[in-house]
This record gives sequence, C-alpha cells and structure tokens, in this order.
Amino acid sequence: MENTTVKAKKSIGSLIVGEWNTKTIVAIAIGAALYGVLMVYGGIPIFTNTQLSVAMIIPVVVGGLFGPLPALVCCGVGNVLADLIGGWGMWFDWSIGNAIMAFCVGLLPVYGARITEGIFSVKHAIIYAVCCILGNVIAFGVITPIFSYLLYASDLNITFLQAFAATLGNSAVLIIIGIPILILLAKRYKARSNLSQDKTGEY
Amino acid sequence: MNNKLVINFIPGKTTLHKMAGSTKVLLFVLFTIAIIATFDMRVLLPLMVVPFAAIVSMKPNYKPLIFLFAFMIVTVGIIGTVMLLVVSPDVGLTHVGSHTEILQVSDRLYVTSETLWYVLVTFTKRIASFATVIAFVLMTTPSEFASGLSFLRLPYKVCIIVSLAYRTIPDIARRFIDIRNSMQMRGVELNSKRTSLGKRLKYTGAMLVPLIISSFGKVETIANAMDLRGFGRLKKRTWYAEHELTRADRIARAFSAVFAAAILFYILYTKFLNPYPVTMWCPFVKLENITKVNVFDTLFFLKWFR
Repeated sequence: MENTTVKAKKSIGSLIVGEWNTKTIVAIAIGAALYGVLMVYGGIPIFTNTQLSVAMIIPVVVGGLFGPLPALVCCGVGNVLADLIGGWGMWFDWSIGNAIMAFCVGLLPVYGARITEGIFSVKHAIIYAVCCILGNVIAFGVITPIFSYLLYASDLNITFLQAFAATLGNSAVLIIIGIPILILLAKRYKARSNLSQDKTGEY
Repeated sequence: MNNKLVINFIPGKTTLHKMAGSTKVLLFVLFTIAIIATFDMRVLLPLMVVPFAAIVSMKPNYKPLIFLFAFMIVTVGIIGTVMLLVVSPDVGLTHVGSHTEILQVSDRLYVTSETLWYVLVTFTKRIASFATVIAFVLMTTPSEFASGLSFLRLPYKVCIIVSLAYRTIPDIARRFIDIRNSMQMRGVELNSKRTSLGKRLKYTGAMLVPLIISSFGKVETIANAMDLRGFGRLKKRTWYAEHELTRADRIARAFSAVFAAAILFYILYTKFLNPYPVTMWCPFVKLENITKVNVFDTLFFLKWFR
C-alpha cells in the first residue's frame, strides 16, 4: 500500500522530465522513427502543399505513456529524421516548432491523465483538447515564424498562412484521432492493471 | 518505397565514406550553420557546389536522388514561388530594399525584379541545404551518426535515441506497407478520389492502431536486450563505429577548424561590425538607394487592425 501512495505523489518536475530508463529511451527512438516515416509517407493531402499529418499521433502516445519531455525529444529527433529521409533540406524552424507542440501535447500525465494506470476521463479529454490547440498556436503561431524569419528570412505572410493551416490540420488530427487512441490505450492498460492484492493469505 | 529511401546502412568504399563519424557530423553541422548564417549569393554558391561535388564523388544510385530533387523543385521552387507572388508580391522590398516593377498584371498582382532575386536567393539556400543533407545521409551509417553526435558532447542517451531511430526506419516503413496492403485487401479504400476525407481519416486511424501497437510492442524486447548488455550503467561509453583517423579525416578536421573560424568571423562581421542594411545583397541595387521597411508593416493581418 505504501508503495502506491508514494507513486501518486510525484512532483510536477519529475512528471515533466519523465523516467529516463532504457525502456523510455527505446520508446522515444521508435516513436521518433514512426514520426519520421509517417511525416514523410503518411500524410493525407487536402490541398497542394498542405496535408493532415497523421504523425501527430506519435507525441500523443509517447507523451501519454512517458511524459512531456520524452515527447519533445521524440518529436524533435523525429522531425530531423523526417527532414533527412524526406530530402527537402533541413527546416530547423519547423523542427523546433514541432518539438514545442509535442511538449504541450505530451503534458497528459501532468494534469492527471495517467494512461499507464488506465485513467482518462472526459475532463482530461477536454484539458487535452485545449492543450493541443494552445500548443499548436504557440508553436506554429509564435515560435516557428520567429525562427523562420531569423534563420531563413522566409516571408512572414506565407509562414503565417502555413502555420494557420498546420494548426488547423494538426489540431483536427490530434483531437479526432488522438482522443479515441488515448481511450483505447487507457482501456488496454486498465485491463492489465486491475489486479488486487490477494488478502486471503493474511491471517 | 524502398527505392525512395536514400539512407545508407552499409559502409561505402570511397574516401568520404571511410572518414570517421565524428568528422562527418562535424562537417555537416558546420555546413548547415554556414548555410543558415548567410543570405549572400556570393557565399551561398560555393556552399552549394561543395556538397554537390561530395555527392558526385560518392557515386550514389542516382534514381531516388533525381526523384527527390524533382519533388523539391516542384514544391519549393514552383508552388512556393507562385504562392509567394500571390500572397506578398512585394517581399523584395523588405529583404532586398528596393522596388522595380517589371510586370504588372493587376493592382495586387505584380512582379518586381527584387522579389525575383529574393526567390532566387532563398531557393539557392534551400538547394544548398538539401544537397548538404543528401550528402550527409549518403555517407553516414546510423552508428557513425551516433558516435559523431557524441563527439559533439551530446549526452550518449540522446545519441542512442538518434541511432536507434535511424536504424528502425526501414523496419517501420516495411511494417507500414504490410499493414496498408493487408488493409486494402480487406476493402479499405485509401484512394483520395474515391473516398471522402472523413472516411479516409477514419481508415487511417484504423491503420495506425496496429502500426503503433506492433511498433511499441517491440520496445520491451529491445529494452531488455539493451539492459542485459549493461546499457546505461556507466556515465560514458565507447563507440564501435569510431575508428582511427584516416588521412582524409585529418585534412577535413583541419579544414573544419578553419571553416568554423571563418563562419564565426563572417557572422560577427556581417551582424555587428559592418551590418548590411537589409537581409540580402543584390547586384543591381546600390547601397545608397536602399529603403528599409519594418517587417511588421508587411503583415497582412496587422493591417486589419489599423
């Protein structure tokens, strides 16, 4: 029993950083690879140049299971890898933006949606949706344009239009596909975790 | 899809392939910084030629490269330019500092020679960065990449993440294609012409679940295998891919030291000592004719509030 109460009172700092053991590292690596592959090959084109990137699901899963900082590293590395295999040159402005967006999306354990223990309620879903939209707006509306302008002297009007499209598309994917996947994952973990301590042996 | 992947997993035979991973990563980072730092056509052109020479010297399979190159020219070059001309045709004024119309279609649609110069410079920049990436990807294997990153003093756990992710990409790509084929065999239509957007989103979700679960299902196995080999016990580790420096390595290291000093001097000189009034140097705009424009005045949505 003591063990569970200690587990419940994790500080926010440790929740943000997450546990950096071998399992986390491997999960981040595989998440980054998935992100890279889906970013390059798994888009659903809407117009020319704009697509709903399904890759946005990966930070949700990594963030839900391991915390925001792993999600940030996963997305940052994944985006750099996507640039490497996609062969459209390095776009560090978007990598940084995506990493920050992933951090906001991966905040799940911080506000109490512990997927690994099967906890994900309607309240958490609403906070999650708000976090997704806010994260997208901060990452693509503020940070990416700043870096775009400084590093590549991109035209800000175009960058803002692209950021607007990206925000809409990402938020749609994050909410429409993300919430069902989170519910599914929580159910899977709950099915495994409803073991109770056997008290019959205690006399 | 496998033909499209340019990632290299087998150590090659040319001089550039035989260099140590640390040198490759060092050169890649320096070239990327240099390309980001400059907007000067006179500096960008040599920076573009060197990676292309490196690509040619490695004698790669040109088929996927030509596909990528064509893709890049269509998206960044043609679509990007058309979008730019439609959305903000006067971007040349902001970055080059002058306004000379050469073609007027309507009140909001015109072409200035400065905008064309801006397009040319940014496109050269993109091409240079593209060539650097391709050259790096062609010459580096995942473990060399990781050892090189650790040479740059990154924590080795991050290096392992990068190398593991880089190495898993083909596996995941294969699994993705398997799942997509089996889904299509069961009647899931992913063609954009025959299904609506909502349905495609639903199907993609249905395709993602097995991909994510089967990929993350491997995590435990790999993590256990790494734990059994003592991963993460010590603060440092050595790299199998790192070898003694060859002659090419020594030359490249000396070159990169000079190159780094040159980049530092260039940034200091152009940003602080002798700043050019606008972002880009242009051969047909004289220094005394340059007009400076505040960037925030060009933003279309700020105009609505005035």
